[in-house]
Amino acid sequence: MLKVRVIPTLLWKQFGLVKGIGFDSWRRVGPVLPAVKVYNQREVDELILVDIVAHQSSDELDFESIDEFGQDCFVPLTVGGGIIHIEQVQKLLRAGADKVCVNTAAYSRPELVSEIAKRHGTQCVVASIDVRQNPSGEGWLCFSHAGKQPTGREIIAWAREIEDRGAGEILITSIERDGTFHGYDLALIEAIVYAVKIPVIASGGAGNYQHMVDAVKQAGASAVAAASIFHFTEQTPAGAKSAMQTAGIPVRRNFIDSVKK
Amino acid sequence: MRVGVIDYGVGNLGSVMQALEELRVTPVLLTRAIDVHTVDSFILPGVGNFADCARLLDGGGWMRALRDEVQVAGKPLLGVCLGMQLLASSSTEGAENAANNTPGLGFIPGRVENLRTLGCGLRIPHVGWNEVTSHTKSGGLFAGIPDGTDFYFVHSFAFVPDDPAHVVATTVYDIPVTAAVRHGHIWGTQFHPEKSSRAGFRLLRNFIENPAC
Amino acid sequence: MLTYCKLCVMPDTKPDLLLDEEGVCNACRSYESRKEVDWDVRYAELLQVLEKYRRTDGSNWDCIVPVSGGKDSTYQVVRMLQLGLNPLCVTSTTCDLSPLGHNNIENLKHLGVDYVEISPNPLIRAKLNRIGLKQVGDISWPEHVGIFTIPVRAAVQFNVPLLVWGENSQNEYGGPAAAVGNNVLNRRWLEEFGGMLGMRVTDLIGMEGIEEKHLISYTYPSDEELARVGVTGLFLGHYIPWDGLANGLLAQANGFHTYDKIVEGSMVNYENLDNHQTGIHDYFKYLKFGFGRATDLACMHIRRGRFTRQDGLEAVKRLDGTFPWTYLGKPLEEILRPLDITLDEFIKLCDKFTNKKIFKRDSSGALIKNRDGNLTKINYDNV
Repeated sequence: MLKVRVIPTLLWKQFGLVKGIGFDSWRRVGPVLPAVKVYNQREVDELILVDIVAHQSSDELDFESIDEFGQDCFVPLTVGGGIIHIEQVQKLLRAGADKVCVNTAAYSRPELVSEIAKRHGTQCVVASIDVRQNPSGEGWLCFSHAGKQPTGREIIAWAREIEDRGAGEILITSIERDGTFHGYDLALIEAIVYAVKIPVIASGGAGNYQHMVDAVKQAGASAVAAASIFHFTEQTPAGAKSAMQTAGIPVRRNFIDSVKK
Repeated sequence: MRVGVIDYGVGNLGSVMQALEELRVTPVLLTRAIDVHTVDSFILPGVGNFADCARLLDGGGWMRALRDEVQVAGKPLLGVCLGMQLLASSSTEGAENAANNTPGLGFIPGRVENLRTLGCGLRIPHVGWNEVTSHTKSGGLFAGIPDGTDFYFVHSFAFVPDDPAHVVATTVYDIPVTAAVRHGHIWGTQFHPEKSSRAGFRLLRNFIENPAC
Repeated sequence: MLTYCKLCVMPDTKPDLLLDEEGVCNACRSYESRKEVDWDVRYAELLQVLEKYRRTDGSNWDCIVPVSGGKDSTYQVVRMLQLGLNPLCVTSTTCDLSPLGHNNIENLKHLGVDYVEISPNPLIRAKLNRIGLKQVGDISWPEHVGIFTIPVRAAVQFNVPLLVWGENSQNEYGGPAAAVGNNVLNRRWLEEFGGMLGMRVTDLIGMEGIEEKHLISYTYPSDEELARVGVTGLFLGHYIPWDGLANGLLAQANGFHTYDKIVEGSMVNYENLDNHQTGIHDYFKYLKFGFGRATDLACMHIRRGRFTRQDGLEAVKRLDGTFPWTYLGKPLEEILRPLDITLDEFIKLCDKFTNKKIFKRDSSGALIKNRDGNLTKINYDNV
């Protein structure tokens, strides 16, 4: 049976990794490479690397750095940040990415997702969606540009549209919860899980293992992503999986090769 | 034993090459079909969609070259993910109807169909780690890898060989899904061994060290 | 382009450093806020805390002072003795002890204190140095862990609850506001700020034959053990205004010896004198973040008005981040030998961990190195 994935997220800003609270108050955490190496050595289920400022400039994406990180990364790697054109996707895949994440560009040009899905397969495209609760009513509203610009789109409609366009998975992040350690927005995740038929990755707010268990058991997420909890506390992806296993959630166990090289 | 990795213009080669280097094998990157005779075995990677990959494979002269070297001359080949699907007779991916199905290499008769069409009611794509059970016919490919070991899958289509005997490993995702195939010296895995951590590396090593398996 | 603090010379690549709207970093602001502190009140608080833990019957030590024999720990011991306390000094043996470091430790003992040195398996330590360097680009990773875990373990083992640490490095060096006011070291501090670079002690198990039994000294005591003894710690730097140079002067007046020239990669001769591997550690800091020891020192002295920013910039440009061919005179290859790393491998590791975006490169993308192997940053001040 398919296992639930625990996915560390690396937020990359210019010279290194950062951690924020509510997509603000960014703290520098350290360089990217050591983090990639550590997670790779721990054989995590997958790794997500997002360049959170790439959308701000018209400079080309940093394929060179991604290639370097890719050389030390043997776990499935999803790369995102500033993707606006399908040619960039080809380069990212060649540089070592297994999947790509599209966020801001999809709002102005949803066809981008279809193009990528058609050429590289739906399984290659992860739609990353950042939301805030709707202050004047129910539901959540989508924001682009690392949470700075309102798009006016409502999450359920957008999730369905992006699924139709060919997205393979949805990475859903609660901006308010991000970096707070207060737990995922379970109502949000549940709403998306019900609205689409593609896997949903929960993101934003994990503070302890129970939050992750809840995201899966209560809200139906196929995978849980987290950044701060793994970088800043004594909790680890392996610990998360152990807690999930205890809670009856199927998780992957690492294989021990009986033959020593 | 020189292992050739076929570069027919499809991404994700880096992972395969790197994995082989980690195993202390120096793979040969084959960029031209005429170079197929320089190696003793092949790895055919594949990512993306069947129609594009098949077109690139054919356009680069690979289909003919591989028919000679693999089917006729008997050199072992391991197809990975879409590379495995390309071993099939045809795929429905991207086709509006059966008449438009894209032909594959046809090394292992069978069709590639969407998981939904095959009866899978769960979320598609099938992405993540899933348990693989191998049948005894798989020979040495799964040597040292116990049943139930997780491998990394990321696909929406699955290969259904005409002859069930060609299916040598399965996983379950609401329905049985072909995880690995074999026809003599021709092998394929739906999962990505180069991304499946130590289990995947063990499998690759099994293929490289004993491709006749 | 790198952005630098307008007051000191620290670039904003430093973890946890934040520049405010005026372009001034939180370490500078934190130093400024010292003026508002009533140090007399703080000192009185210190005395209160110490009284609580002082033993009246002399049956056990009053506190544990983690020491290295350096200027700061020498200073701390002098202060503790002045306050009439009976400390147990605990050293976690450093990775590659220099003769000068050894002498300064002897000097510290002769100030008149009980002293315990816990020396984890040096063969394992060498492996951990190597793993630290290769995995996260930090040769001193095991030392960073050990200098916290070992004194805390000693507190539990010797049943001495109070640990007197030196400075809260987050205060001077900049860090989240929540930590700056914090004057207690606990596990969360260790995980967040101890410089672990994301790697955990448990990650080591299985690497290069390391087993759990090799990592006892690097394992923080359990919450139960800490609660049983009532372990608590304080940062002396919260109660007494901390200044490395002033500490150095007091230490010298008490027998501490300095190096006879400025230390390689640094700007001064009075600190980091005990561990030959420090040069490698500081160099990798430079490669990963774009600042080294000279920058750290320039910033500290600029804040205290001993240096102008211009003088700081000029000194940093010349002295910061020089390739560590020697440290305290010991050649690089000799320092690497017990770790089983060749010079070639070392240089490859340097390149691997270099943050390419912050150094000058030629048209083919290769890092530009001068005759001595030194790199040039893309900018040394705000443009």
